[in-house]
Amino acid sequence: MSNSMKRREFLKLGGASTVAAGVSFSPLASAQSDAPHVPMLASQISQPALLPAAKGPRVVVVGGGWSGLTMAKYLKRNFRDFDVVLVEKNAGFVSCPLSNLWLADQIDLEFLTHSYYDAAKNHNYFFLNATVIGADRESRELYTDQGLIHYDYLVLAPGIDYDYEKIGVEDPEQAQQIQMHYPGGFKGISEFLSIKRKIHAFKGGNFLMTVPSGNYRCMAAPYERACMVAAVFKKRGIHARVLLLDMNPEIRIKRDGFERAWERYYSDIIQYESSTEISSVDPESKMVETDFDEFPFDDAIIYPPIRASRLIETLDIMSPTSPQKEANIDPFKYNVIGDERVYVTGDSRSQPFSKSGNTASSEAKYVAELIAAHAQGKEIDWRSPQTMCFSGVKIDPVESMSIISSYKFNEAEKRFQFDRVHPIENWSARSGQAGFAWAEGMYKDMFYT
Amino acid sequence: MFDMRFRHFITGLVLTAIPIQFAMATHVVPDSISVELHFKPDVENGERVYEICASCHLPDGWGNRDGVYPQLAGQHATVLMQQLLDIREGRRDNPAMYPFVQERSIGGYQNLADVVAYISTLPMTPFNGRGKWGIASPKYALGEQIFAEKCAVCHGERAEGNSTAKYPRLQGQHYAYLIQQARLITSHQRIVNPAMTTAITSLDAIETAAVMNYISRIRVPEEDLHEQGQ
Repeated sequence: MSNSMKRREFLKLGGASTVAAGVSFSPLASAQSDAPHVPMLASQISQPALLPAAKGPRVVVVGGGWSGLTMAKYLKRNFRDFDVVLVEKNAGFVSCPLSNLWLADQIDLEFLTHSYYDAAKNHNYFFLNATVIGADRESRELYTDQGLIHYDYLVLAPGIDYDYEKIGVEDPEQAQQIQMHYPGGFKGISEFLSIKRKIHAFKGGNFLMTVPSGNYRCMAAPYERACMVAAVFKKRGIHARVLLLDMNPEIRIKRDGFERAWERYYSDIIQYESSTEISSVDPESKMVETDFDEFPFDDAIIYPPIRASRLIETLDIMSPTSPQKEANIDPFKYNVIGDERVYVTGDSRSQPFSKSGNTASSEAKYVAELIAAHAQGKEIDWRSPQTMCFSGVKIDPVESMSIISSYKFNEAEKRFQFDRVHPIENWSARSGQAGFAWAEGMYKDMFYT
Repeated sequence: MFDMRFRHFITGLVLTAIPIQFAMATHVVPDSISVELHFKPDVENGERVYEICASCHLPDGWGNRDGVYPQLAGQHATVLMQQLLDIREGRRDNPAMYPFVQERSIGGYQNLADVVAYISTLPMTPFNGRGKWGIASPKYALGEQIFAEKCAVCHGERAEGNSTAKYPRLQGQHYAYLIQQARLITSHQRIVNPAMTTAITSLDAIETAAVMNYISRIRVPEEDLHEQGQ
């Protein structure tokens, strides 16, 4: 093991605050109970989690999203001896892909929701509904709120967190307020449900939505969502304007298609503003400010820039050069630099791949094969993840555009770039159906077959 | 023309009365019933259906030399149909193509027949991706020998395939695609007939590269090629 690895750097309980609590209790905690909380917590998490004894090399996968689910299944498939445990903090799965179509009532919630037990049962691994707290990479132990798990390999696929600081919101309380009142809709079912409710209850006026800068989750989704929200408003016959504030100089993907769709169907509803450098968001006065303008709104979906999951920072494996606080991993082998037992995949990776479900799932198939090979003393060649994304522009029935792309490493410039980009920007009902079939195929792969 | 397996499962019959169960027991209910259906292909409709395919396989059906997408032009219609059905049903794992060949997106068997018929009208690329070993090299000779021993019996002397048996034509295919399929078969990610799996897994990496190199260099008959190559 490399000596660059930090000794006993685990138990970084959610960053500095809980570590500090070990020294001095907060007034609230000491007022409520005399019992010392930290020793109790420490003993609880050092108990082994309730799992059967490992019957082979144990691979613990953290995060039950598109990467983790595919990973768990294909680890087992590639190397039967592996004992695979999927650790996920949510009790059930809700698909972020296609949730925009659910906002516009084109599918029901059942289409998007699936059981981790089905996935684990059908693919021969264990599901542990637990939250990760820390890890000791030297003794290969993962600490969760359900106890510790010894691992032979650890795969972290914890996804993203929002980065409100990038839109001028530095106060955590204000960030909480914004997330609560104007959720971005890319993290979990409470955000989805809240957004759907507000779209269907909207009485009229300015409905503001943002497109973040940087490599945000699902490049096309904010533009698609503008279409879906506009379509709902149109169907409900309310007098509303969808104000789409893009922090980028132009539409990031499928530009021609989205421009034509807005022109054709939503020219009276969607107002698009590019290069909007958002400098502040005031949830109380309902105002978004940029360097040059003020945009008042009646309701909003504020999608801020994103960063890798805070877990990457907590575990002290953050890349020093990543502006989005992504993991410090080998760009081809995905292992944390200096540690061949810990891997990071999905949206916390530091390669500039599209942060989307299909990308994460196709990447996981490769990394699962890679880890299985490593465990058997073999090596495999790098292969590109595949990005595939459908965007609905019209409803009843859904008409979609799509794009398929892979990546290649530009040796001269030492960076990844898109390769083999195949867009279908002529939207059609057939592509709309292909989008549903895509999702069904992915759910089938991750949960059932 | 193709046949379609039509599975008819007798399920969900709740039989409570014992005498009926006895009566049923004397009858043999088949597990599956096969039906062969025939469709007259409509090439013009096939061309319309092909629009979505073209975004990856390109309008000329030539795919990419780097092997991400195979050349479809020149392939036997029976083979193309089998692949469409296998991918549609999930027997061949291809997540990128899966959504586009479902009944809800591409349509029913008639549309499949039409698009396959259309593809069969497309001339092949004269510039398929080829392996790096030229005709005078020892690796070429090794590939030629392996091909004759292990491949030609099914795929044909010139790798022309076999329409009736649904063995694909390999002639003219991109080298990188052939290599990739070999990898998928040896790692059991693409399930093919056992004889094929045995043949390919008996080869080491160099032998696989050599035989694919040879295949990619087999000359396609001029009448099958696009005229710019003639």
